[in-house]
Amino acid sequence: MDADRIRAHLDPIRHEFADPRSLVMPALKFAQTEKGHLTREDMAAVAEATGYSPSFIESVASFYDRLYTRPVGNRVVSVCVTLSCMLRGADEVWDALCEHEGVDHHHGGTSADGRITIQEAQCLGYCDKGACIQVDAEETKGPYTPEEAVKLVEELREAPTPAELWR
Amino acid sequence: MPILNSVYRHREAGRPLTELAAYREAGGYKALESVLGETDADDLQYAFVRSGLRGRGGAGFPMGRKASFLPKDSRLPKYVVCNADESEPGTFKDREIMEMNPFQLLEGLTLAGYAIGAVRGYIYIRGEYEHQARVLDAAVRAAREAGFLGKDLLRSGFDYDITVYRGAGAYICGEETALLESLEGKRGQPRLKPPFPAVAGLYGSPTLINNVETLTALPPIVTRGADWYAALGPEKSPGTKLFSISGHVVRPGNYEIVLGDTTLRELIFEHAGGLREGRRVKAVWVGGSSVPVIGEEHLDTPLDYESLQGIGTALGSGGCIVMDDSGCIVRACLRLASFYRHESCGKCSPCREGTSWFERILQRMVDGDGRMEDFELLESLFRRVSGKTLCPLADGAIAPIRSAIKLFRDDFIRVCQEGSPRPEPMLPASVG
Amino acid sequence: MAEYAPVDLTVENQVEFELDGRRVAAPAGTMLADACYAHGVEIPIFCYEPRIGPPIGACRMCLVEVEGMRGLQTACSTPVAPDMVVRTTTDAVKEAQDGVLEVLLANHPLDCPVCDKGGECPLQDRTFKFGPGTSRYVEPKRHQPKPLNLSHRIALDRERCISCFRCVRFSQEVAQDGELTMQERGARSEITTFSGDPYRGRFSGNIIDVCPVGALTSIPYRFVSRPWDVQNTPSVCGLCPVGCNTELTVREGRTKRVTGRPEPNPAVEEGWLCDTGRWAYDASWSQARITAAVVREATGDRTATLEDAVDGAAALLRGRTAGILVGTAATVEEAGIAADLAGGALPGAVVARMGIPGGALAPLRALPGAQLGDVDDADLVVVAGGDPSAQQPVAELRLRKARRFGATVTGCGPRPHALEALGTFIRTAPGDLAAGVASLAEAIAAATRPVVMWDEADLAGEPAAAEALAAAIAANPAARQLELGAEVNGSGLRALGLPDAGAVLDAVRAGTVDALLLVHADPLDAPGRAAWDAALEGFAGPVIAIASHADATTERADLVLPALTMWEQEGTLVSMNGRVQRLRPGARGPEGAAAGWELLVALAHRLGVVPGYRTAAAAFRAVTAGRPAFAGITPEAAGVLGVPLAAPAQVAGASAPPPASGEGVPLVATRTVYGGAAARRSAALADTAAPAELRMAPDTAAAHWVNDGDRVVLRSSSGESGRLTVRVGDGLPEGVVFAPLGAPGSPTEGVLPADMAPVLVRVARVEAG
Ligand SMILES: Cc1cc2nc3c(=O)[nH]c(=O)nc-3n(C[C@H](O)[C@H](O)[C@H](O)COP(=O)(O)O)c2cc1C
Ligand code: SF4
Ligand code: SF4
Ligand code: SF4
Ligand code: FES
Ligand code: FES
Repeated sequence: MDADRIRAHLDPIRHEFADPRSLVMPALKFAQTEKGHLTREDMAAVAEATGYSPSFIESVASFYDRLYTRPVGNRVVSVCVTLSCMLRGADEVWDALCEHEGVDHHHGGTSADGRITIQEAQCLGYCDKGACIQVDAEETKGPYTPEEAVKLVEELREAPTPAELWR
Repeated sequence: MPILNSVYRHREAGRPLTELAAYREAGGYKALESVLGETDADDLQYAFVRSGLRGRGGAGFPMGRKASFLPKDSRLPKYVVCNADESEPGTFKDREIMEMNPFQLLEGLTLAGYAIGAVRGYIYIRGEYEHQARVLDAAVRAAREAGFLGKDLLRSGFDYDITVYRGAGAYICGEETALLESLEGKRGQPRLKPPFPAVAGLYGSPTLINNVETLTALPPIVTRGADWYAALGPEKSPGTKLFSISGHVVRPGNYEIVLGDTTLRELIFEHAGGLREGRRVKAVWVGGSSVPVIGEEHLDTPLDYESLQGIGTALGSGGCIVMDDSGCIVRACLRLASFYRHESCGKCSPCREGTSWFERILQRMVDGDGRMEDFELLESLFRRVSGKTLCPLADGAIAPIRSAIKLFRDDFIRVCQEGSPRPEPMLPASVG
Repeated sequence: MAEYAPVDLTVENQVEFELDGRRVAAPAGTMLADACYAHGVEIPIFCYEPRIGPPIGACRMCLVEVEGMRGLQTACSTPVAPDMVVRTTTDAVKEAQDGVLEVLLANHPLDCPVCDKGGECPLQDRTFKFGPGTSRYVEPKRHQPKPLNLSHRIALDRERCISCFRCVRFSQEVAQDGELTMQERGARSEITTFSGDPYRGRFSGNIIDVCPVGALTSIPYRFVSRPWDVQNTPSVCGLCPVGCNTELTVREGRTKRVTGRPEPNPAVEEGWLCDTGRWAYDASWSQARITAAVVREATGDRTATLEDAVDGAAALLRGRTAGILVGTAATVEEAGIAADLAGGALPGAVVARMGIPGGALAPLRALPGAQLGDVDDADLVVVAGGDPSAQQPVAELRLRKARRFGATVTGCGPRPHALEALGTFIRTAPGDLAAGVASLAEAIAAATRPVVMWDEADLAGEPAAAEALAAAIAANPAARQLELGAEVNGSGLRALGLPDAGAVLDAVRAGTVDALLLVHADPLDAPGRAAWDAALEGFAGPVIAIASHADATTERADLVLPALTMWEQEGTLVSMNGRVQRLRPGARGPEGAAAGWELLVALAHRLGVVPGYRTAAAAFRAVTAGRPAFAGITPEAAGVLGVPLAAPAQVAGASAPPPASGEGVPLVATRTVYGGAAARRSAALADTAAPAELRMAPDTAAAHWVNDGDRVVLRSSSGESGRLTVRVGDGLPEGVVFAPLGAPGSPTEGVLPADMAPVLVRVARVEAG
């Protein structure tokens, strides 16, 4: 994404912050909407648009779980594996999805066709819906059984890629 | 079903109040209208103090007192920051408020702003709550259009607006100074205190930080009166509290209870529908995952700050996780250890290195490679780390494990020798 | 040790408190860690580094007990308070220290025997003093790819890193280069640059000094020495006039490393060095190094022993009237002895110094002067002319620090530079610095503690600006001036009373001298070189050069005496703002070379005059005697940290330069230490060497019919330049061109007059880009 687009995105909210550094996170989130993750060029563009060094921008991006500094699939499936969900079958859902997508059971990963990324999430705040899953940055849903979870990714595989989900 | 004595209007009304009109109908913005231009900011602060409302984010610090710590004579702008990072495992009460009742939060945040003379309020919401953030965005727009936010609110001369700021996935950003760092566009790593946020918070300005639930309780405190609120429940910790309950219970969800009136047993068995047939309570993390775990013997404890403290645990965030006797306590501890290892921000050495170490030891135990000396080692590491870190995250990592080893030592010893096969989970019937 | 902030225990109204049962005191605001250290109690620290900034409380190594406070407190961030009761040796404290060291060592490779830091490693020392005896960590260690190169000069071994944040804070807050950051989170945290690019910075090497473990090491120094088989010598850097205090690590007679002093000089560099000062030492064995005397004869060059060469030099000089030219990096001793020759061994000799005549600068130099350390307390810092980041590198860090401490930074000058981002800077047209100065006068008058930094070269060329600036400073009694000098020992040479090089040049031209002795002087690579070229063309007498490296002048000399470098010899340098500091020899230098001052003494002997001194210290006393600037200053008084001159180093008999003449576009010359001449001689710094480029804005390029990449020469009334490559850049002012001094082959020096008077140049394309 180029710096001008990022600047245009930031312009309407600039006045809300006494220090322009606060714009770094909205800028990163916006830049990520284009490819689903942040490339070196995206981070350089955020640096240019906000006036902070590229290294600083990368240090911020790499701190947060939901900013991806490495490529992800078209759809990102986040499986909560924290305690409440574990008690409600999260590990079974996780295993089924990793198996189905052929990715590493320890770390998750992106399917060979590049369409689906399976990743662990920590408590998503939907423990009442455990085992729960969040797709991209959309609302978290649950509870899922392993079978239902596999059905979900099958549907996602067919569905079109969401355009701009994040503000 | 409407609830008597509910502080949260959507619960009282028994329906979501995501439209401004609906919120108004349910009594919304009456508090702000009655206060703006009528009540002195100090009087409002005093009402908060008198209500006895304690922070609902975990630490339970009296809200009104915290507001009174902000310097009155500072030439810097002041801010209110609403902590909507809700990431404590087992906790999802703020989610409900923001999803169903966004205006009451905005109204509460505006009242707090008025009470301290703030120029802007920020809602720092965890990045994963994108849906809730959008609900808030829409509510802010509607409130602004109706004159409840913006310049010269209700012609009182008070200027105030609210920004919804999205995090991007980091539990530590719930810690107030890490939150401020994150809101300032940096890595969310806690700051050294002092100075405290009340003196030097956001952008170095005096800042009041409160949890969603805390701020949302303010409008009824104004309309029904601080005395009404103070009279709910025990003297030292009055009011109602939303408990999130999850894990091995039949009806997981949020339940609003008057503090001190309900026991843990009632919460689990009456509100949350109890356990599966034939199961017994094994372990309960009553205030989120960062509190000491308790067992069946404490089920009759009333749910309030003092009582829970009395049995060696804490009310925390009110995220109550229940595990029945099908679960394995060592695995549960390992899972929490992994959580804290993943979420440690890495700024201070004992937590950064310690949380990884805890996890490794517990993993060995679960794999059946535990050694007897690991108990002593863990206890010594806990002693060396707890209370010595920059922020309380490490203590939160230690409390549930340390207490579990004490309470369930036999299980630990068994697992060390035999390992722990993965138990059957409690599976849902269908997608809810 | 430098890690703790110096504490002044002599001030009044100190805070009394109890330390391990003793009643002690420290000034209010002192952090416990520093106060304890001042009272002989070492509290272990890792993340705290007061020079970098306020404490961050990250490592938790410094926990102590403070009565009445819950839990242990971090001594690095707890200020002393009246009647505070502090305990640093209780069981709880011991347990905490054990705990932090245990977790830090859990994943540490413990490879001290092969670690460059071994023997001088705070982690190793503190583990020894405060740590647990054994490790209880039985899990597999975290493994990282073995050392990677953070840049050409810095290696990073992530396994050894304890995430103390010192290096990233140096990069972000002190150097403000934005390059180095902590990335990822938790146990995966790692320090890195953007996408792992090489660390680009002018001060990057300081992160090696601040790293409390062996995670960051100097590549040129890797595996070269072990701390126990080296000697460390405190010295000063002789590459620019800032005069940073250094420490030389010497082994087997060679300088193996230059670092900041463990006990920094708060008045000068505060322990920081620029990368040039840190790594240029390999120039002492570079290709251009003169390792044996050269005698140039009709039949060709031959090398000679030092004995023979000095005899030869004496023979060439005997009976002649010599012109003696002293270079700007020559020490006070070398310059002083050279000047002494005129009174004895070489009667009638004309002795002069290279460098800027500076006739217009007297009023500025007469004003109360500041040390770099004084910049910290200023409320206003003015930078008049120049480009400190390029020319006086470490001064940049002081400016940034002053800004961090809340000072206003402002200035004016003809060239864009890195520090303009710190405040409001007025871009002046070349030759019109006076206009910029005029606009600063009000701010200087209004400030309570202003420090005005002024660029020697720029103000020397513009007498009107110098006069106006002096008046503006004089108008505020609280204001102090700080000269941003252009030459290493310019002040020292002036303080000795040497006239400028024009004296020798005139004598050569007039034929009143018939031999030339050059002491570290290279007039053919300096501004004004065209005039020297012409003068030497017709000069029939012998030319004798005392030099350490081959240059344009040694090429023409009839006899070259190999001299030692600043890393090898004893001597005295006077910094740009008049601080007298001592060079101490680290390395021995090549067999066939000797210190310049020794060569001069030997020469005097051979010429039949025995000087009354045999040591550098005695020479210093002798040559500075009777010089008011050096009154009361002895080598002993200069000590390890140096002393300011007793009186300003004023110039002798120079006149102010005339305004620009000729026609064409104004040329602004830029000196640079970073990537300058020293970098070109150093293998370690080779990648930083600045190219010979003529920079200009787009419209200016169009007006002169040149494009980016064209090769051009410049002509002025002073002469012609060598070839330069055109670089067209946005952000440069129009109507002016910029060219570097000290580029390979000294192209720019050819069009400049020696007095740095402003010049106009014509740009002629010789080759399209
Ligand atoms: C690791 C950690 C995580 C926290 N997470 C949250 C959180 O998600 N939400 C919250 O309101 N408070 C959280 N807190 C507590 C806050 O630091 C702070 O005490 C609280 O926001 C104050 O609001 P209150 O007084 O209204 O409770 C957390 C604290 C710690 C140490
Ligand atoms: S305790 Fe953990 S989360 Fe808190 S500052 Fe230290 S490393 Fe970060
Ligand atoms: S590399 Fe050295 S200075 Fe940098 S964080 Fe690691 S230990 Fe500290
Ligand atoms: S600033 Fe100058 S004196 Fe200091 S280290 Fe660099 S070159 Fe040497
Ligand atoms: S534990 Fe999975 S959403 Fe909370
Ligand atoms: S030195 Fe005090 S916390 Fe690191």
